[in-house]
Amino acid sequence: MSNYIVTVKQVPDITQITGNAFNPETGTLKRGTLPSVINKLDADALAFANKMKHLSPGEIVCLTMGPPTAKEILTYSLSRSADAAVLLTDRVLGGADTPATANPLAYAIKKIAKDIFKGNDDYVVISGMQSVDGDTAQVPAQIAEELQIPCIAYATEVESINGKFRIEKIVSGGNQWVSPKAVPYVVTVANYEYPLFASFRRSRWANRFAVIKWTADDIKPTLFGYDGSKTRVTRVFPPPKGARKNIHCHNIDEFVKELVSAYKKGGSSGAFEGEETDYIVPSDRPGGLFQRNYEGTDKEINAYKQVTQALSRLGITKIDQLNESLVERVQEHLQEKLTKKMLQEIIEGYKTTQTSYSGDVWVIAEHDGKKTNDVTCELLGKATHLAKPLGVRVGVVIAGNKCKHMANDLIAAGADDVHIIEDVLLEDFRPGPYRSAVVDVIKKHNPQIVLFGATPQGRVLAPMIAYRLGCGLTADCTSLDIRDNSRQGNIAILMQTRPALGGNIMATIITKDSKIQMATARPGVMKKNRPDHSRKGNIIEHGATLAESDIGFDIIKTELSGGSANLSNADVIVSGGRGLRSRDNYDKLVNDLAAVIRKKLDCQVELGASRAAVEQGFINRTHQVGQTGTAVSPRLYIALGISGAIQHLIGIENSEIIVAINSDPLAPVFKHSDYYMVGNAEEIVPQITEALRH
Amino acid sequence: MDIKEKDNTHISILVVGAGPAGLASAIAARSANKDAEIVVLEKGESVGNHNLSGAVLETASLIRLLDEARPDWKTIKGADSVLGRVVKEDDVHFLLGKELAVNISFLMKICKKLGLSFGEICNDGNTIVSTSRLTRLLGEIALSLGIEIYTGFGVKEILYDQDNRKAHGVKLVEQGLDKEGDPQPNYIEGEAITADIIILAEGTDGLVTEDFAVKAGLSRKNDQVFSVGVKEIIRVSKQQYALFGDNRVVHTMGYPLWLPIFGPAIFGGGFAYSCGENKIAVGIISGADWKYYNFNPQKALRDFKQHTLIKEFIDGGEIIEAGVKMIPEGGYYAVPRYLQPGTDGKKMNTVGYKNVMIVGDSAGFVNMNKIKGLHNAIESGALAGNAAIKCLKDPEKAADEYTGRLESNFVMDEMKSARNLRAIVARFGQAIGFPLSLFGNLFPRFAMEADYKAMTSRKFTFDTPGEFDKATFVALAGTEHREEQPSHLSISDPDLCINKCDPLFHRACITFCPAGVYEKIGIETRPANPSNCVHCKTCQRKCPFDNIRWTVPEGNGGPRYKQM
Repeated sequence: MSNYIVTVKQVPDITQITGNAFNPETGTLKRGTLPSVINKLDADALAFANKMKHLSPGEIVCLTMGPPTAKEILTYSLSRSADAAVLLTDRVLGGADTPATANPLAYAIKKIAKDIFKGNDDYVVISGMQSVDGDTAQVPAQIAEELQIPCIAYATEVESINGKFRIEKIVSGGNQWVSPKAVPYVVTVANYEYPLFASFRRSRWANRFAVIKWTADDIKPTLFGYDGSKTRVTRVFPPPKGARKNIHCHNIDEFVKELVSAYKKGGSSGAFEGEETDYIVPSDRPGGLFQRNYEGTDKEINAYKQVTQALSRLGITKIDQLNESLVERVQEHLQEKLTKKMLQEIIEGYKTTQTSYSGDVWVIAEHDGKKTNDVTCELLGKATHLAKPLGVRVGVVIAGNKCKHMANDLIAAGADDVHIIEDVLLEDFRPGPYRSAVVDVIKKHNPQIVLFGATPQGRVLAPMIAYRLGCGLTADCTSLDIRDNSRQGNIAILMQTRPALGGNIMATIITKDSKIQMATARPGVMKKNRPDHSRKGNIIEHGATLAESDIGFDIIKTELSGGSANLSNADVIVSGGRGLRSRDNYDKLVNDLAAVIRKKLDCQVELGASRAAVEQGFINRTHQVGQTGTAVSPRLYIALGISGAIQHLIGIENSEIIVAINSDPLAPVFKHSDYYMVGNAEEIVPQITEALRH
Repeated sequence: MDIKEKDNTHISILVVGAGPAGLASAIAARSANKDAEIVVLEKGESVGNHNLSGAVLETASLIRLLDEARPDWKTIKGADSVLGRVVKEDDVHFLLGKELAVNISFLMKICKKLGLSFGEICNDGNTIVSTSRLTRLLGEIALSLGIEIYTGFGVKEILYDQDNRKAHGVKLVEQGLDKEGDPQPNYIEGEAITADIIILAEGTDGLVTEDFAVKAGLSRKNDQVFSVGVKEIIRVSKQQYALFGDNRVVHTMGYPLWLPIFGPAIFGGGFAYSCGENKIAVGIISGADWKYYNFNPQKALRDFKQHTLIKEFIDGGEIIEAGVKMIPEGGYYAVPRYLQPGTDGKKMNTVGYKNVMIVGDSAGFVNMNKIKGLHNAIESGALAGNAAIKCLKDPEKAADEYTGRLESNFVMDEMKSARNLRAIVARFGQAIGFPLSLFGNLFPRFAMEADYKAMTSRKFTFDTPGEFDKATFVALAGTEHREEQPSHLSISDPDLCINKCDPLFHRACITFCPAGVYEKIGIETRPANPSNCVHCKTCQRKCPFDNIRWTVPEGNGGPRYKQM
């Protein structure tokens, strides 16, 4: 007997995004043009909860926070399997980022446990791993952190052994079976193949069901709305244009020719630029304190340039000469007039010259017990660039049972200080003990920036740590830069840029009301430093004060799939998706093509697969490409029968050349490819293979 | 929190199909009785998704219906844009070949003055609508009135009790089967829903309607015949749209379907309507009794779009939506009826039987003189809704009541007056048939045979060469089905395809299916891509051997028309 709370979210149906749903000028979504639907992974979570309820009977309560129209997805849930539904709706809760969303949800969960479950603590909170509009994956982990309960992330299946739940979850390169140690706990669902259907009977009942409505007053959250948010979007813009060529090929020979010559030339790599940071703190600037060339947007840089010129004409050279009365005099010297308010802010902005944050730039390392992951070195590369102009050190935290032996490699990769936490309870990655250990070290040293990899591990750990420390966090960044936002009095802050809405828009985000700026960065995006084994650094060892009770769940077994997929180092990846229809087809089409490319181009070719193909058993999980698998950056990526789920597209966007074959002419993958053919992969691929043979 | 079955699976008035006819019946019933329990079932993912038509609407019935149900309906957001495009320019052209067009509008106007049937094609005072959007508006109004609409539920069959000769409900399509037809973990069986009164409003070639007709013993004097309408919405340049006009309807006959003497001879014609926002709806309607084994209505649309008359308005435009639908054209003699015994003259042959009524396109209420059915769908729906309320206490009288109202209403008058046009043209060809049809009502009934029997080994050689891009067309219809379900299309006897159809007709379905569902795999013809299906059902009516069966797939599948 358990009860279940499923958190659901209403999102725009981004599968229906056409060119028209966006305002091309601003890149923002034209509201109202897309229908609202339940977040797909939340529908999976509901089915997952239903399975759990089947194994251990109880009630399912669905919970959502949103505008009154979010009732629709509660009706959806009720007409499938929910027994009750709670709508948390209140103007003051709007405009929230992830902690300000997780907090009210956690308080609502407490109230559900108290009022609906009558104080019975035997419940499980189940949630989709992430939402399709924000795709940060932060809220469920932060709910767990607020409630101080374990979080089991990336679940795919559940069974009951001797009356206890056993949950299967995705870990890097394989699967893991875990068993929760105590209730309540949070489960995030990465995938569940069998979403529920509505029954007529339930639909009618749901139609009459009075959804329970709560406002902020009913739950009394401590962090909510815009004011409770720890991040702020400063700029939204369209993704870099022309990154992909989108050439539609109709003819096999032409296709093969293009493909081979594009491979040899190298493609339009790097959808993300501005990697090198050229920031200089105001006190060191050659043009003096009035030089403001490092604002977040070009518009502001220009405005400052004009005002600076005007000031110099007026003979103003020192900060203490600045005052209110200058506004009108400066205005007279401007070619393009600025609003009075803007001008006031700009002039006020000159007065701040000290950096807004202090402390080092840190990276939280990831490793497999033997060596650190690529993403850790990439983050160290980035951290070096961020730390240099700030004149601070690069720190790295590595936690595990035995991990000291990796310290020297971390120093070679760019770390100045290596913080080592060793404890037997840190042997396997479990969010509970890891976050406690890391939080303690961060608190001791107060860095100004902490970076994590946007990996299955980092995407659970980072939100918990950020929440615990009361700091903002931006997920899945593709670009990190130190910039000023002088008008708001911010100097040398971290501008965190990430794609949103499935890569349809880009957003630049800054941290607010926090001591530390935190971000997770996508693997394969940042550039590593060349390893320098002559570098010197400090090694600092920390003890951890952990108890058994921190663990949260027992690991029953971990199965890392065999095979030798080395996706991150491949020159070419040939990937197959659900569209290939069977394992036999996958084996034949993908293998044959890979073999012939290996021979023709004389390079390292690896086999890849979409998550759907892995779930269908076409190939094991080490070959899974995408956000929950491996993010890749080969010179050539070939997608066969992959329609292009967002998680997959995110994982391949750093490939130099992307080639796709799919039978659906509107498959999203085409928009993200350089060359594509519309048609049945089973027919086309053998022809391509044949053409490449010659 | 038990979900009591009894509370939820019995309904007073059940409407199958949330199209214009079904929603009109629900809304009319609500106007007549504020407390009646009215439930509408719809197989599409949302209301309006499966509705496609030209369309030019005679609005009188609709406005009467809405004025009564929601006097403030004009203030509903979007209502004015759905119903605001009154026809101002209305022309008919006869297309002779790829370039020549003769404007014959004046002839039609003269016919109208003389009261001849050709004049009925004139559209003065009518309104250009998107049926899809109109249906959505009706759905919104219905919901606001407390009518229950459940989308995503396909109805598989009628539950008919042969002992008591009475329909007592419907059975829904089961959900969650895999490709082989085995239940998946999320399987739910097709629920049985019982109802006092059932209104069948499924649209063209309704499966439940046909199932009911067989079980209850309804019959038609003539076989139902169909046309296949293919339509695209094209966004054109501001200049092109201004040139075309913001309130214009164009109808054409002749090329590319028909040319005198040695040309092609297919019943039908093309159209182009203004849709606002620089969009023009362009379509062609082809009589499904075409004789050519290799004819594809989509290619006819392609050629029509290349005609000089049309091309200048749409050249370079972007097709933003596309779709296909069949139109029931058999008319008065193809309305399914229950032939009641009795010689006293008072007995009438009901459109339905006892507590079941058939409305709109399911009954075949398309007026071929006007080439319109939408107004009749709404009117017949409203009549059925009113009849249902009148007979709430005595549901078995519903079909009698409904038919009585139909017979004394303009719907049946129109059906009678247009009863012979389609049959005469089918029999005498267009050159003689059309003029002859002016006197159609002087003739007795002409028999018509089912469309599939018309197929011959003649080749259609009049179209421009090249394949039609069906894949893009399907994508523009937004069609989608859950992939892992059994095919909802089946071929009864595969040997017929191999031994008979292949030599005679070169497997015609592969060519004419607008969604590219059928493929030759090995030596067999198979519905290889059922998930592409746009629910037009042409295959089951045009397979030359009547060898294809279309069943209702799992709910939520099919096209997602937005402004068709």
